[in-house]
Amino acid sequence: MTHEIVLTVNGQTERATVPASMTLLELLREPLHLTGTKEGCGIGECGACTVLLDGAAVTACLVLAVEADGCDVQTIEGEANDGQLSTLQQAFIDAGAAQCGFCTPGMILSARALLDRSPNPTDEEIVEAIAGNLCRCTGYEAIIAAVRRAADRIGGEGSDG
Amino acid sequence: MLGAFDYVRARSVEEACRLLAERDDAVILAGGTDLLVEVRNGLREPKLVIDVKAIDELARLDPSDEEWMIGAAVPLNRLAEHRAIRESVPALADAALSIGTYQLRNRATLVGNLCNASPAADAAPVLLTLDAKLSVAGPKDFRTIPIAEFFTGVKRTCLTDGEVVTDIRIPAPPQGLKTVFFKQQRIRGHDLAVVNVAGSYDPTAKTLKVAVGSCAPTPVLLEPTEATGSTAAIAERVVELAEGATSPISDVRASAEYRRAVLPVLLRRLVDRLLSERSGA
Ligand SMILES: Cc1cc2nc3c(=O)[nH]c(=O)nc-3n(C[C@H](O)[C@H](O)[C@H](O)COP(=O)(O)OP(=O)(O)OC[C@H]3O[C@@H](n4cnc5c(N)ncnc54)[C@H](O)[C@@H]3O)c2cc1C
Ligand code: FES
Ligand code: FES
Repeated sequence: MTHEIVLTVNGQTERATVPASMTLLELLREPLHLTGTKEGCGIGECGACTVLLDGAAVTACLVLAVEADGCDVQTIEGEANDGQLSTLQQAFIDAGAAQCGFCTPGMILSARALLDRSPNPTDEEIVEAIAGNLCRCTGYEAIIAAVRRAADRIGGEGSDG
Repeated sequence: MLGAFDYVRARSVEEACRLLAERDDAVILAGGTDLLVEVRNGLREPKLVIDVKAIDELARLDPSDEEWMIGAAVPLNRLAEHRAIRESVPALADAALSIGTYQLRNRATLVGNLCNASPAADAAPVLLTLDAKLSVAGPKDFRTIPIAEFFTGVKRTCLTDGEVVTDIRIPAPPQGLKTVFFKQQRIRGHDLAVVNVAGSYDPTAKTLKVAVGSCAPTPVLLEPTEATGSTAAIAERVVELAEGATSPISDVRASAEYRRAVLPVLLRRLVDRLLSERSGA
């Protein structure tokens, strides 16, 4: 009933022994202590658990840890580089896009996936990309502005830092 | 933790069918977006979960000359982003994009949507109007099931023990085919349909096919109608057919009365959209 899995999390190789019914979200939060990924609903509705699985935004509560065997996972802990916030994270701060912060890790990863596939998104694309991330605080406008600002800055710099 | 099942990553369709037939309480796992929620909610207690996403042939997405093929492991986003599909059968892309959220569609599959057999399955109406067929592998044989025969009740299909759907086939859309999908939901964000309808119109054969979801135990394909006469008259024929073929109920999303009231509105709009560029109308 348990499986030995090997996966890359934020660039580091991780090995774990997991029961088949453990979710990727549980693996990240408990044995790996990466508690930046949040659990809201546990059933794919809220987006608080969004991570990148082989580059694609997914809700980690609906992925089994064994399904991630051999995959590359990125969580919010992998967004900053050497303690330096990414342009996207800084834009969230500058735009006031985080209040209680519970939705923020998932929002940032959905936005990260969007900027990776569409570096200069329209507001409509931004809204669609974060439609699966519920926020009870901000009213979303500041979040959309933050993603827009990050896209402009990354475009201006020619690279993401 | 989602209960106490074991997990196998199947490497071939044969392996998946064999395990499904041999082992008690074994289920297929595609995107898991229906299955894992049901397990979490205690509605299902599988002993073995057979993941089919690593089977190479199920990842094929191949719109070719005669028949289009959508493998059982193709996630909805990949389907909806496919250029030929967006251009030739936009209603299929629209229906796929109406399902859940972006993150969900990176996992959820078209085949999973059908096999789950919800009366509200958003992919069902459009595939009914396109005469889609499901390719099914069993422990001994292969068979092909026309989608109109696939659903047998709420959350029930005609699949038998050990059968795995490998892909969906759609006859290549005829020149000029028009397709439309409409979904009525409670909110603009992601939600299951209160009523969903799809239609296809072939301007050469002058036939109109319409299907309705969320208004009967299964999604239903209405009798095809000939698109002759005024658009308004055709729409009324379709509304009449739909009223005869459906039996809406009340549930958490809407009352039966509301469904009965909104269905004709959606159908008139659908027929209008499908026939708007009809020559000689
Ligand atoms: C937050 C959320 C929002 C949703 N919104 C919508 C929506 O708007 N519209 C909608 O229609 N649905 C919606 N759904 C339901 C679900 O996401 C879809 O039905 C999805 O397409 C299911 O595909 P899957 O690959 O995840 O299926 P899975 O969960 O993997 O499987 C579903 C069922 O089909 C069986 N199965 C899967 N593949 C095969 C196969 N190849 N052969 C035989 N059996 C198979 C499984 O055993 C299971 O019983 C939503 C779900 C969630 C959690
Ligand atoms: S916790 Fe995963 S979507 Fe809500
Ligand atoms: S900042 Fe509180 S939920 Fe979004």
